[in-house]
Amino acid sequence: MSNEIRFGTFVRVATLRQDIISFNDLVGVDAVRLGDKIRLRPIDAYRLLTPYASSRLFEQARAVIPLALYLLLFQVFILRQGIADAGLLTAGLLAVIIGLMLFMEGLKVGLMPFGETLGNTLPVHSPLPVVLLIVFLLGIGTTFAEPAIGALKAAGQFVDVTTSPYLYTLLNQWSGALVMAVGIGVGLAAILGTLRFLLGWSLKPLIYITLLPLLTLTFYLSQDADLAPILGLAWDTGAVTTGPVTVPLVLALGVGIAGAAGRGDSSLSGFGIVTLASLFPVLAVLGLALFIVNEQSPQAIILAAQALSESPSGNWTTRSPGTEIIGGVRAIVPLVLFLLFVLMVVIKHKPGRPAITAYGITLCVAGMILFNLGLTYGLSVLGAQAGSLVPAAFSPLDGVLGSPLYSLAAGLFIAIGFAWVLGFGATLAEPALNALGLTVDKLTNGAFRKSTLMYAVSFGVGCGIAVGVSRIIFDWPLAWLLIPGYTLAIAFTWLSTEEFVNIAWDSAGVTTGPVTVPLVLAMGLGFSEAVGAMDGFGILAMASIGPILSVMGTGLWINWKIHRKHVRSEQRMLTSDRTPHTGLAA
Amino acid sequence: MKQRGITILTDASLITCIVQRGTADKIVRAAQDAGAQGATINYAQGVGVRERLGVMGLAIEVDKEVITIIVANDQADRVFEAMYLASKLDTPGMGIMTLAALDKIATYVPYELVERLAGKTDPQE
Repeated sequence: MSNEIRFGTFVRVATLRQDIISFNDLVGVDAVRLGDKIRLRPIDAYRLLTPYASSRLFEQARAVIPLALYLLLFQVFILRQGIADAGLLTAGLLAVIIGLMLFMEGLKVGLMPFGETLGNTLPVHSPLPVVLLIVFLLGIGTTFAEPAIGALKAAGQFVDVTTSPYLYTLLNQWSGALVMAVGIGVGLAAILGTLRFLLGWSLKPLIYITLLPLLTLTFYLSQDADLAPILGLAWDTGAVTTGPVTVPLVLALGVGIAGAAGRGDSSLSGFGIVTLASLFPVLAVLGLALFIVNEQSPQAIILAAQALSESPSGNWTTRSPGTEIIGGVRAIVPLVLFLLFVLMVVIKHKPGRPAITAYGITLCVAGMILFNLGLTYGLSVLGAQAGSLVPAAFSPLDGVLGSPLYSLAAGLFIAIGFAWVLGFGATLAEPALNALGLTVDKLTNGAFRKSTLMYAVSFGVGCGIAVGVSRIIFDWPLAWLLIPGYTLAIAFTWLSTEEFVNIAWDSAGVTTGPVTVPLVLAMGLGFSEAVGAMDGFGILAMASIGPILSVMGTGLWINWKIHRKHVRSEQRMLTSDRTPHTGLAA
Repeated sequence: MKQRGITILTDASLITCIVQRGTADKIVRAAQDAGAQGATINYAQGVGVRERLGVMGLAIEVDKEVITIIVANDQADRVFEAMYLASKLDTPGMGIMTLAALDKIATYVPYELVERLAGKTDPQE
């Protein structure tokens, strides 16, 4: 052995330079006693921070850049139009990416721990009515903090007061009340969803009970020419509300409550709140619209709007950077104060590390402000620009040379195909869908594969957006699409098993994130303006019903396949009774 | 009926590497390139360095991944160093790794390999 060198020893000597220190010495040195701060060289800090920042930046960039590129390339190559304000647009998109990055990180560091503490301790500390009240208020608070809500207000600028006065007033004078109504809807949905966890209710009857008044009201409003344009907005709010703030915070609380009652282990716990939170706001907004109709006449609204536009607003809070800053602070601070109040006063829990919480909240506010700025200058402009130019493919537009660019049939095909690809691609790229897919795969023991779900949902959203755009082009009343669509959904719900009902109805709300929503909203508005339609809302509403139908349809098909397999294997067992019983389980 | 036997492997080391959640895949790939057979990854939570780094600690995930890899002694240092470089452990807060000698391993070893190699090393050596 003495003449041989072990390969391992050779490698050790030949590679990295090694300094050997005894751990005893290291721990003994005074400078690094436990609890002392470690001093970092600048290079260390740089190496520590780069992966942290870049991974988070990349996550948001991956959602924004492909979508933006798709819209821009489509505009340049298919529609052969230059891009207006390219510099400002790029800056705006950059603001969206950085804003979302800061916001999500702040949410994770600053607000999520609150939500988890609340979910774990509140149900133990307080009686059920108090818990439900807090759930309700939390639902309202998170709605205000939802990034996509800003897109609704931004959309208000594009609405023409003379064609649809009630829509205009809802989005401008009543915009606070509108968000409040949405929040109340989400709050009620959160209460009902929590009760559902607690008492183990089935989702099906809740869907029937919610849809009945909803469809009746929709039918009633669609009969009135002044009120019909509101339907699109109302149904769109459902898709807007269920975003990255509401879903995790409300879910954390709901699951915590169910867990405290010993019901947290159901495989379906967690589902359902999203569904209810995308239906109840519609009801609330329709209610608000009815209230406004009794308060104000269309003529009064038009007069008020004209008076407002004539008086130049000198106040800094109503001009561009001011509104975004105010909006950002107003979105986050009430939610934070509410959470702090509940934590400190109701359950008397001292937040562990105030500095870190403060850091997270600061990030949230800064991110929200940046995101709002990016929304105004980036996403909304981009969506509106693309939306207003796409109709040039099939109809003559002022300002677009040589339009229609293609023959009517080809142009329509291009415009609707554009919408379909946009919906399909944006949904497939949504990170929340990936997470849902994993859950569903586990829940159904692989019968419903992750990729099957992702394609089913994306297909549904793509078709929904295509139908929504077609509606604007051909000026179909939205109620004609919503009522049959949801009636079909009710029929599917009746036939499907509880699991698929939960998955399908939730998938609609989960997939519309803070990038897709503003983009699609702005696109619809630009589109409707270009073709001279009554209102540009309703695309998101169609994008919600699309995946519900496609996912439940896929679920029914999978169940039918499993059923057929069972029938066949039973037949085989009858014909040859020596076959072992294992065939049935497959 | 043939009696069941046990094949004991010796000359092995255990590498345990604790890193931030989400980085294990890259490190395992580096270890495999350096000759490791496979790896086990556990999820865990860590305490300590985050607090001591102060504000910088925010950049470090609380959630960790624990990679355990069994390697032959001859490969141990090569794999150890490859993993060290891949996981950038020379940066503060990135993680920590250990290498420890193992007395015995037992697992499935292909029959022909057992035939060929058994008896080559004397356990008492």
